[in-house]
Amino acid sequence: MTHAVPGRPRLGAIARKIGGHLVRGLAMIWVVATISFVIIREIPGNPVLGQYESLIQKGMSPEQAERATAVLYGFLPTGNLWQQYVGYMGSLLHLDLGRSLSTPGVEVTTLIGHAARWTVLPVLAGTLLSFLLGVTMGVYAAIKRSGKLGDALALSGSLLHGVPVYVIGLLLTAIFATLWPIMPSGGPVDVEFVPGFNAGYIGSLVHHAVLPVVTYTLASYGGWILAMKSNVVAVLGDDFILAAELRGLRRGFVFRYLARNAILPLFTILALSIGMLFGGSIFIEEIFNYPGLGLLLVNSISSRDYALMGGTFLVITVGIVVANIAADLLYTAIDPRVRSGGAA
Amino acid sequence: MTADTTAHDIEAPGVRIRDLTVVYKTPAGELPAVRGVDLALAPGTITGVVGESGSGKSTLALSLLNAVQPPGRIAAGSVEIDGLGDVLTLRGEDLRRARGRQVGYVFQAAQNSLNPLKTIGKQLLDLGRSHDVEDLRGLVRDAKDLLARMGMDGARVLDSYQHELSGGMRQRVGIMLALVLNAKVVVLDEPTTALDMITQATILRIIREVHEERALTTLVITHDVGAVAEVADSLAVMYGGRVVEHGPVTEVLGDARHPYTQGLIRAIPRLSGDLSLARALPGRPPTLGTLPTQGCVFRERCERRMDVCETDEPMSVNRDGRTVACHAADRHLTLVKRKELV
Repeated sequence: MTHAVPGRPRLGAIARKIGGHLVRGLAMIWVVATISFVIIREIPGNPVLGQYESLIQKGMSPEQAERATAVLYGFLPTGNLWQQYVGYMGSLLHLDLGRSLSTPGVEVTTLIGHAARWTVLPVLAGTLLSFLLGVTMGVYAAIKRSGKLGDALALSGSLLHGVPVYVIGLLLTAIFATLWPIMPSGGPVDVEFVPGFNAGYIGSLVHHAVLPVVTYTLASYGGWILAMKSNVVAVLGDDFILAAELRGLRRGFVFRYLARNAILPLFTILALSIGMLFGGSIFIEEIFNYPGLGLLLVNSISSRDYALMGGTFLVITVGIVVANIAADLLYTAIDPRVRSGGAA
Repeated sequence: MTADTTAHDIEAPGVRIRDLTVVYKTPAGELPAVRGVDLALAPGTITGVVGESGSGKSTLALSLLNAVQPPGRIAAGSVEIDGLGDVLTLRGEDLRRARGRQVGYVFQAAQNSLNPLKTIGKQLLDLGRSHDVEDLRGLVRDAKDLLARMGMDGARVLDSYQHELSGGMRQRVGIMLALVLNAKVVVLDEPTTALDMITQATILRIIREVHEERALTTLVITHDVGAVAEVADSLAVMYGGRVVEHGPVTEVLGDARHPYTQGLIRAIPRLSGDLSLARALPGRPPTLGTLPTQGCVFRERCERRMDVCETDEPMSVNRDGRTVACHAADRHLTLVKRKELV
């Protein structure tokens, strides 16, 4: 493996890599969109045709009914599958996901956009908090693994990792909203505040977000601390850490060598869980009555709102695909072994 | 082989290991991996330490930096280095500063002794900052000189990550990092293990040359008697945590007195001639758990064992510049036929 300049890939190579990722990502999104199109078409009872027929029964002319249904689902209910597919893909290109059934007439994109506001920030905060906390504690748990502190930390990780998220959520609600009511029990914000950039509204937002964020943090903290602990223990056994100590490197440097090597594999998982956040957290949003994407998905399923379902799935897919690409590019940026495309 | 070291003798520090005992905590209690080792490294010389796996040679090497890793523990003894004092009493920052600055260490499997995420140059700067080197440019220049000295393109190597270098190159980088702060005592733990023959020869030549150029006191740990014969001035043979024989390398190899040393030499296959001439030493080297607690540690595999070997541990006896710890060698030294030894 030879390079003109070692470790410094040329700009062209980077552009090619990003381009390749984008093409693959778009292909994946296309595949998922196609599958969700077919599934919605093939669901027993055919909701699209059902809608079309029920509109005719209500007295609409077939042409009117066809147009109305097309507006709802983003594609024509009649005609051959191919024409419908082309129509569906065409509207997708314009980011048109059709209209919701359960909230009549409202565009799916609008609904998703509203819900995303309630999901992205809390889940992002929870993910990052649990990551930071878990990683820091994981390092301590590894370094102090033969002491009481290390045992306690590892135990906390195993316990929290084993407890289902809804148990944590219900427990927190029971304690902080019922037994000792210092926190609101649900909803995203108190209604008495005028939405906008004012202290009362923002304070209420934060107040309502505390329990969901804490629940999310505790639920994923266990995984991070356990993963980080085992990574640190593995790297501690690597020769280069002892070698750094034998060369008399300052503790700070040795610690950085250790931490950076141990945290590397976790970045992939972090990027992927950030991608997953567009799926929201169904349990947490349900428990805290938080109108996020998870709740939207649940509601769309229970009300058989197929356009909304398809749109939500698509958004989740796009989130994961983008996160995958980001994880890959991130790894390229932080791991020189991946950067030069060779084995270590 | 006989280096003209007289010019450097004033500069090079001596190292005296006295009565060193290192124990490892095991389920069966604390067992000695190194026991009662006395070994002096004469200033400006290369001392080779040979022995089988588990003979305690790497533990001995780590002791020179007071770096025995848990569950190991230095139980007794001292390691005096001129200008530094007893390394085993150093703690915390004093110990850290001594490592790298005064005692350079080339790691066993130095091929993995580098941080895979940083370029060699950045790791060099970390090293310099750790030891309060003010002239970092000078440090980089010295590093490049050393690398060039070892036949490498310094600028290119410093700009590389470890995975972009071959095994032999990484080993040379390890040697550079051990020397760049001007350490006068250098410990090389298995410096040529896992390298091909050609690279081995190159590394050994480099060790010899740099050693002479810089007036170092060098300790080379290896299981390869051939490698040691090529570079060392004096040779210590370890078995079961003891130094069983120590003396000038030509004398120890040419006229081994300890039955273990004799067995080791017989076991070396020759490049030319009949391969069956090489005879493996019968039996297995002892492990921490199987080490006899009394008597001679080698007696199980020894063809000259006597009754006294079962009960008394042989003392190291110094005779005309050579030490041997063996009852048989002691008693029958004059009776041993010379042809048996060659």
